[in-house]
Amino acid sequence: MKKKCIAMLLAGGQGSRLYALTQKVAKPSVPFGGKYRIIDFPLSNCMNSGIDTVGVLTQYRPMKLNSYIGNGQPWDLDTSTGGAYILPPYLGPGEKGSWFTGTANAIYQNINFIEEYDPENVLILSGDHIYKMDYSDMLREHLEKDAACTISVLQVSMEEATRFGILNLGEDGYVCEFEEKPKHPKSDLASMGIYIFNWPKLRKALIEDEADPDSSNDFGKNIIPKLLNEGEKLWPYRFKGYWRDVGTIESLWDANMDMLSANTLDLFDPAWPISSRNETVPPHYIGENAEVIYSMVTEGSKIDGHVENSVLSSSVAVEKGASVLYSVLMPGVSVKSGATVQYAIIGENTVISENAVVGSAPDGSDGWSVATCGPDIIIKEGAHIPAGAMVYTGEEDFGND
Amino acid sequence: MTDAKGIIFAYNVSPDLGELVKKRTASSIPFAGRYRLIDFALSSMMNAGIFDVGVIMQRDYQSLLDHLGSGKVWDMDRKTGGLRLLPPFGLPEYHRGNYSGTIEAMNAVFTYLEEIRQNNVVLMLGSLCANIDLTEALAQHTASDADITAICSDRELPSQHYKYVADRDGVVKEAKFSGSAEGLTSLECYIVKTPVLLDIVRKAAEKNQYQFHKEAIRDFLLDGGKMQVYVHRGYVSFVRTIGEYFQANMDLMVPANRWSLFPKERPVKTKNNEGVSTFYGEDARVSNCLLADSCRIEGTVENCVICPGVRIEKGAKVKDCILMRGCTVGKNTQLRYVIADKFAQFSDEEVLAGSSRLPIVVPKESKI
Repeated sequence: MKKKCIAMLLAGGQGSRLYALTQKVAKPSVPFGGKYRIIDFPLSNCMNSGIDTVGVLTQYRPMKLNSYIGNGQPWDLDTSTGGAYILPPYLGPGEKGSWFTGTANAIYQNINFIEEYDPENVLILSGDHIYKMDYSDMLREHLEKDAACTISVLQVSMEEATRFGILNLGEDGYVCEFEEKPKHPKSDLASMGIYIFNWPKLRKALIEDEADPDSSNDFGKNIIPKLLNEGEKLWPYRFKGYWRDVGTIESLWDANMDMLSANTLDLFDPAWPISSRNETVPPHYIGENAEVIYSMVTEGSKIDGHVENSVLSSSVAVEKGASVLYSVLMPGVSVKSGATVQYAIIGENTVISENAVVGSAPDGSDGWSVATCGPDIIIKEGAHIPAGAMVYTGEEDFGND
Repeated sequence: MTDAKGIIFAYNVSPDLGELVKKRTASSIPFAGRYRLIDFALSSMMNAGIFDVGVIMQRDYQSLLDHLGSGKVWDMDRKTGGLRLLPPFGLPEYHRGNYSGTIEAMNAVFTYLEEIRQNNVVLMLGSLCANIDLTEALAQHTASDADITAICSDRELPSQHYKYVADRDGVVKEAKFSGSAEGLTSLECYIVKTPVLLDIVRKAAEKNQYQFHKEAIRDFLLDGGKMQVYVHRGYVSFVRTIGEYFQANMDLMVPANRWSLFPKERPVKTKNNEGVSTFYGEDARVSNCLLADSCRIEGTVENCVICPGVRIEKGAKVKDCILMRGCTVGKNTQLRYVIADKFAQFSDEEVLAGSSRLPIVVPKESKI
């Protein structure tokens, strides 16, 4: 069946800069914003943009992701003509087989899958961005500009530009140069890692790139420069709105805090719902002596302590006499009586035992940062986890008793 | 596979629920912030592996149909069996009024009953608020030689109900029909051997009887039929009046009641409503409340059950209330003992108060 556009979602990365949080799961399945996982954002954008076929490329610890996506039903992807497809690396007859060597290689290895749909265009997405975007508008511009590739770009400050892939434009408005993390950027248009390719042109580029032994098979490093060299038309699609890469602890914490303030990402917007797969649990209960201020709380939770400036996921327990300040609690976290969690991210199902203290308020020093506890661990009674700590097992010694 | 079919009676009119059942049946009343009452019956069956379920309905069932959909939520969208919606069909003239009783309701769908493949039928009220372990009840039923197992509560309930007096082995000796101090409270939930059920319905219809408990069961026992009780130990409410509805919601503030209704091992499923987390503003003061998702709370809220999408503005004081989906409470408005149906709007600076015995019911989409 011929499709105008299908999406390929790169969800295989480990997200090594999230350390303990991605020990057991791939980055796209890290919980975010109370009710979501990171991958809900691109999947919901697909749903809201009318894209009904999404291939999800998995590689690193995909079990959680596989069961989470399932048949794609939460994102209306369980249709007879489209669907959500988990695409792990695989072996063909007589092949040696290999893991995905780069973003472009991941798509190359799935050329057969894409061909099944005979699409005119392919949308390439990554699974670590928090944003709402109408891909159908990007596709419209892509077709209008007759581009081989349209790259979604965000205007950033010149200082930030050194951290991104930067697009320099010619007088006709098309892309004339692509620079990966330039020391002296010539433009402030940063690539968001979201591309729409004309499929026949991408297919050709992927096959040629694969034959090049010197290539690292990456979209930003290889495919985009290759198309530019060949004189293909590359168009920048200017995205305006909230967009965050949540690949680091600080950015993940920041983006979660952003959800508390207005004018960032309106999660309440009925015209652009972000969907997720959730167990059905009863509404949350706020106890008689609880205080919940400037925070988000969701289903299945029981709050009897003090919660301020925090984002709490489902089935969280905050006991009487416990305090949670400026923190992100992932699903199933339990904060026992007398414990304090501040400026911290706590992974799924982790228990903060009685009178433990996790994290501390910013002290103005350069060394300060958010404390992180990985999932499924127990922080012992009375333990002190300092600011910036990364707790994997709960057995670590942080130089205090 | 569980050898039982489920029949849920969702035709109940319960006139004492007043405004709450003006546009819906008792079975589809919103409850506990995110559920409908029928979720308990459906989930009890689902958790016991009963996926072949008929829902008998008669009128005002639009909201019920909307809630049930294909039955997917309860895994009842099946190739064989699954959820079967049973509105009235092809009724003779004398059936045109409200069903006068369970027998009449079953008789109205008798052709459907005749097709039952399973050896047992579980009969349940769609408006009963209880999470019953039907796996255990069915095991007890099958292990005994009883034709009928009556599921009873060990609790005394406020409203009128039937009672069964059983001996030490749980064999029913006598049925009591109102206000008796003796016996166990019937939850009007039965497990019946299929041929026995068909026989009871047929015989009762011949005798022009409508009532299952009052007439058919009485005759069954008089004829020497074998009946036993299964005792459900846990929270129960019949939710037949506005007062009972209010109390059942408020009962959820007690942790033991919540655990009894929503145990981890027997989850209650409901139609999934997309939503974001509930947001608490800087001046929010909330205590002893059950709150669903997608709400924005800026005011003071005490002893309330709050459904999804409710907005409570700054300075508002909401106490001892049930606010259903999408209600808004304006600045400095005070509500006490109010049950607000879906999308009711209270503008700024209003005061509205009922009493604990008689909460005010504000109809759907009212503007105050």
